[in-house]
Amino acid sequence: MRKRLSALGLVGVAALVLTGCAPAAQETTETADTQTSATAEAVDPVTLTMWSWRTEDVEKYNTIFDVYEAANPGVTVEFEAFLNTEYNQLLATGLEGSDGPDLAMVRAYGGVQALIEAGQLMAIDGVVDTGSVEQSLLAAATGRTDGSLYGVPFATQTLQVFYNKEIFDELGLSEPTTWDEFTALNEAISAGGYTPLALGAKDSWMLPIFHEIVGAARYGGPEFRDGLLAGTTDFNDPDYVASIQIVNDMTKYMVDDVIGVSYADSQIQFTAGTAAQYPGGSFELGSFTDSGLDLGVYLVPTPPNSVSTKPISAGWADGSFAVNKTTENEDAALDLMNWLASPEFGQLFVDEVKQFSAIKGLTYSDPVMKEMDELFASGPTAYINLVDMRYGEPVGSTLIGEGIQSMFLGDMSATEVATKLQDGIATWFTPGA
Amino acid sequence: MKTKSKSHGAMPVRIGMAFVIPALILFSVFIVYPLTTALGYSFFSWKGTLRGDFIGLENYVTIFTKPPFDEALPNAFSHNLLLFAGAMVFQNSIGLLLAVTLHKIGRLKRLFQTMFTLPYLVSPLVVGYLWSLMLSPLFGPVNATLKAIGLEELALPWLGDPTTAIWAIVFITAWQWIGFPMLLYGAALGGIPEEVTEAAEIDGANGVKKFRLITLPLLLPALGTVTILTFIGAMEAFPIPYAVGGSTGSPAGATDVMALLFYRTAFESGDIGSIGTSSALAMLLFLFIFGVAVVLRTSLARAERKIYG
Repeated sequence: MRKRLSALGLVGVAALVLTGCAPAAQETTETADTQTSATAEAVDPVTLTMWSWRTEDVEKYNTIFDVYEAANPGVTVEFEAFLNTEYNQLLATGLEGSDGPDLAMVRAYGGVQALIEAGQLMAIDGVVDTGSVEQSLLAAATGRTDGSLYGVPFATQTLQVFYNKEIFDELGLSEPTTWDEFTALNEAISAGGYTPLALGAKDSWMLPIFHEIVGAARYGGPEFRDGLLAGTTDFNDPDYVASIQIVNDMTKYMVDDVIGVSYADSQIQFTAGTAAQYPGGSFELGSFTDSGLDLGVYLVPTPPNSVSTKPISAGWADGSFAVNKTTENEDAALDLMNWLASPEFGQLFVDEVKQFSAIKGLTYSDPVMKEMDELFASGPTAYINLVDMRYGEPVGSTLIGEGIQSMFLGDMSATEVATKLQDGIATWFTPGA
Repeated sequence: MKTKSKSHGAMPVRIGMAFVIPALILFSVFIVYPLTTALGYSFFSWKGTLRGDFIGLENYVTIFTKPPFDEALPNAFSHNLLLFAGAMVFQNSIGLLLAVTLHKIGRLKRLFQTMFTLPYLVSPLVVGYLWSLMLSPLFGPVNATLKAIGLEELALPWLGDPTTAIWAIVFITAWQWIGFPMLLYGAALGGIPEEVTEAAEIDGANGVKKFRLITLPLLLPALGTVTILTFIGAMEAFPIPYAVGGSTGSPAGATDVMALLFYRTAFESGDIGSIGTSSALAMLLFLFIFGVAVVLRTSLARAERKIYG
């Protein structure tokens, strides 16, 4: 009986989480435009609360907001962080009730649409000056159905190859500038007794990332994306198929049975010095630096028959700052949003939080970060399967991730992976919409 | 009335209620209420947390007919059934074997019982992660040992190959839960009166016959309980598959189960209507578990009545 109760409990708890999301669901739209008496609050002391999932950065954000508070007497910013994995539910619930935050970090692209559609966020077009923000990243906080802007992106991630400088020095190797050099480099690392590429192929989310790193130049990066969104091409495009084939060709530079290697294992391969290179995202930088590695970074040179003439680095926005539509401190919240979109905040964010900011023209004191920033600027593109293909079910990155796993297992060809991706997203994605 | 109940030594209704009410409140608030709410949610369309129109069974139609559910649901469900079959064949039969053996040896019984039951006390999520480390093709001791003793061809990427990955989950689950059927069977074996077995021996029954004709029928109630609990456990499997294959059931959906599908739909979906579809999935899973558990329980009761008269 106890076990049967716990079976009920599973469904019950799952349902409970959902219940928490949605009390009094239909009331939100009406409370939207009550913002008349907000002007008087500028002189009164105001406390703005901001919610976040970055529990590890609370101190850093407090330092950043100290600067804002010093420049804006009477304004206090309270930064509250919650467990990352539970944040989405907490925020959705908080925005429904009266005890929600004034501002909040929200997820990017498809991840924020539910909040926008539920009418929980304030549109900021024309109210917040986003001129300093990298314009291509604004899509992260744009409503898919109404095209309005609902947030200011705060962090970005970029993709590239990390390498262990000590191993490169030991084997007398240098960063490749052509595809032939890239192949020769991997052969030389192999001959030197190291694994050329560390990859956690057991964790399917890592595979589309690897595909972008080695294949983006082959399929053409931004040009392909434009065509895809306009409907002039799709994922069955021969160049896109060829880019997936490159992923398969790269397995000879990985350990045997790479399909059984987890993401965590692949990190150990690199930090323990058994693998010389790690194709990964900027989000790895912290743990790689902490492990004391002498790090180098480069972009994979253009493969033969590439559509792009230069190497490409894919990137995306990690999240945005947004305003609760029912905040009682609208003016103060929008003032803060304007500051969050300014180079002053961007530089503080870079220096304190040590991540890449969405604000243009900042200086990075860390040499590796500086180089990564320059690499991204030299050939930026959007990580399509995350940026554009997460607005419905199934999501693009899951489709191609599982497809590449099947390809590694010999159950699918590159063409079939592309078809699986195209057919999957075609169930909800309409080009040109 | 009052005096009558007192004379029978039973508890007065009011005091009885006082004991029942706290549990009843908790049960209602944390189980009945969310369950009925989820049922309600599954009949509506959703935009984030904003409830839309009443759409009847459309969410249920979606999870049976539309991608990715049309493929993912049968795939995940078949894995749940496989987990159940695997647990019945391996976990429960080995559990019975252990129980019978321990029942015979008597000495050191407690020690072995404790040893076999220990993994049961560790969180299944931890067990899953531990085993994914053990089975890692790079650093895992399992493949290292196989290679060291010359069985290189057996050093497979256990969790990376779809044919072995789901069986690895069956094995890990069995490793953790083996003590549970063992304890239940052990207790039932202890309850079989010695006179019965002795009488059988006098009538000339050998070991196998004794087990088949005396022990097994008398174990039927325990067998039924273990079967039902194993069924529920297999249908709601989540932590071990999650720790081993992640939320997508890597590799390529080979370890996907119903609870993972629910988790992805509810919390990782790009679809803004996911509250509706995930509620429908949760209800479906609940109704299936509940229905089968009731059927199993009834047929078991019937079988028991047949044996015990």
